[in-house]
Amino acid sequence: MASSSAKIIRPPAFTLRFFARGISDLAAYRDLLFSLSQHRVRVRYKQSALGMAWAVLQPLAMMFIYTILFSVFTRVPTAGIPYPVFVFCALLPWTFFSTAVANAAGSLTGHRELIAKVFFPREILPFTYVFAAVFDLLIAGVILAGMMVYYGVALQPQLFWVLPVLLVALVFAVSLSLLFSSLQVRFRDISLAMPLLMQLWMFASPVVYSLDAVPERYRGWYVLNPMAGVVENFRRAIVGQAPIDIPSLASAAAVSVTLLLASYLLFKHQEATMADII
Amino acid sequence: MIDLAFLNVSKRYRIPSETAPPPGLLGRLRHRVARPSTDFWAVRDVSFEISKGESVGVIGHNGAGKSTMLKLLSSITAPTQGEIHVNGRIAALLEVGSGFHPELTGRENVYLGGALLGMRRAEITSKLDRIVEFAGMSRFIDVPVKRYSSGMYVRLGFSMAAHLEPDILLLDEVLAVGDASFQDKCLGRIEQLRNSGITIVFISHDLMAVQRLCSRVLLMQQGQLAGSGTAEEMIHRYHEISRFQNTRSVERDITGARAASTGIEFLSPAGDSLTALPSGGPVLFRLKYETREAVAKVRFLVVVQSLDDVVQFTLDSRLAGRLYDLPAGGGEVDFHIDSLPLRDGFYRIDTVLYTEYEAEALDYQPRCATVQVQGERVREGLYYVPQRVDVRPVPVVSSRS
Repeated sequence: MASSSAKIIRPPAFTLRFFARGISDLAAYRDLLFSLSQHRVRVRYKQSALGMAWAVLQPLAMMFIYTILFSVFTRVPTAGIPYPVFVFCALLPWTFFSTAVANAAGSLTGHRELIAKVFFPREILPFTYVFAAVFDLLIAGVILAGMMVYYGVALQPQLFWVLPVLLVALVFAVSLSLLFSSLQVRFRDISLAMPLLMQLWMFASPVVYSLDAVPERYRGWYVLNPMAGVVENFRRAIVGQAPIDIPSLASAAAVSVTLLLASYLLFKHQEATMADII
Repeated sequence: MIDLAFLNVSKRYRIPSETAPPPGLLGRLRHRVARPSTDFWAVRDVSFEISKGESVGVIGHNGAGKSTMLKLLSSITAPTQGEIHVNGRIAALLEVGSGFHPELTGRENVYLGGALLGMRRAEITSKLDRIVEFAGMSRFIDVPVKRYSSGMYVRLGFSMAAHLEPDILLLDEVLAVGDASFQDKCLGRIEQLRNSGITIVFISHDLMAVQRLCSRVLLMQQGQLAGSGTAEEMIHRYHEISRFQNTRSVERDITGARAASTGIEFLSPAGDSLTALPSGGPVLFRLKYETREAVAKVRFLVVVQSLDDVVQFTLDSRLAGRLYDLPAGGGEVDFHIDSLPLRDGFYRIDTVLYTEYEAEALDYQPRCATVQVQGERVREGLYYVPQRVDVRPVPVVSSRS
């Protein structure tokens, strides 16, 4: 009993033992992750008049704007899918990603008090913002289902691909949350750059257009952006205008997992002295 | 069995220098990434062991490294060198209220705060009633904590941590807050935990509480362990460190100053040195000074402050009606107090020397001494007020038990 809970606190190092400790700490504090995520959602909507409606208002508003721009002013090819559905099902994973990462980036600096005074695995803070974004995604999913019924879009046999696609999106969002939030502790520029970055990033992902619109010779570079594989394949899984594009999804998964490992290592190393500089 | 050990632990802070960044975007960036800094060792090569079931106090002056030690023990920050061994579940009671979320109710915050202290959800549920009852908050538990008073905040926070049942409990200045009756309750609860075999590390300025709770005391001085021993020994050493060193020479002591205070003594009216001052009793503060040259119209001040830096009163030689022309050399100033209005506790002393003609002080010695006041424990309030009591009609006097 005593030996199982024995703990040795050492200076941070890039050793296996150091990171194994990190993982076991996180497991021990899983109830905190759960409680904080729950409260994050609850507090966010507690004093707003529209409440949960905010979770769908943003993707809906975007959908209207892009529908006017890209199916009324100018026509973007959608392989016969009604443009509102075409863009909305891309906006779901995109909004999830951008909300999660942008909010998580400031999660450590926004809880300076806590970090300076209480010990807990710090990655829990960015994680809670990612989970709150998952919650928003689920609500927006209900709206999507309604739209599909309205436009008469049939369910596809490849629908189950939604799960692996979202898993990749989750891994990627988590890894960027770790990376940006820990960098933000040293460089407050991160949260200032976030709106610009997310805007550019959205147009670098097949949200308002489809992957087919990207010239073949740039495709290899283009799919290095994991959100390309995520957004395009999420849309394909839902509306089924084309089979799942395995290369882009595989590249998204590979980049995300690699980045997750790297950013977790960086985060845990930074964490050891985070309380001193925050 | 060893519960807690520091093995040659050091902690370095880098204090960034305040130089202006070079011009240009690239220069700013480089400056931000590799800013020149100076090193400050808050804790330097500290080693000690604490056995299971011991209750150990850590005392020391501000900047001695106490809070850094607490942060290291509770894993808030990592050591720069050395190793810390912790055997068992550790719970730090550092301003627990800081984990509270203002929008959430007391109940929701107990779950959140409990989770922050590493408690499982089921564990909190099973203890919720006892926590709420101990804090005396059952009426307010479903009110958002932003409506709480600071006292309620602290009570709930302490109550949570006190029911955590860790193997090792870290205590900060938590007892400095809340009213006297709640403080007594907290101390009682901590004694109860201690008697049940929990290891306690108590880091505090409140020497009386340290004395009451701790079988052993570690004395920190300038980041290093200056001693380890019984509470009495270490508290005595603590006072020794805090007193003026009366041997300091004028030349070294008051470089640039024409006059300076060099010591303060606390005496009985008969002139006997006192280790603790009696609340309400007659005392004599003797301020020693030295002058390098003759200084005209000097005014002496002794400022008495509580440990949380609230000025209690000022002894001022001008209140006695005059300023003094001092010859070169040195001497003493006696402040006679008929009835000391301080309640029991510890107080810090500042001394100041002014001359009438200058706005700037001739000499200012902040926190140059710490003094203990003893007396009947004042239940609530800041002062000890000497008093006589008459009850009419004259009752049958029941003798005090």
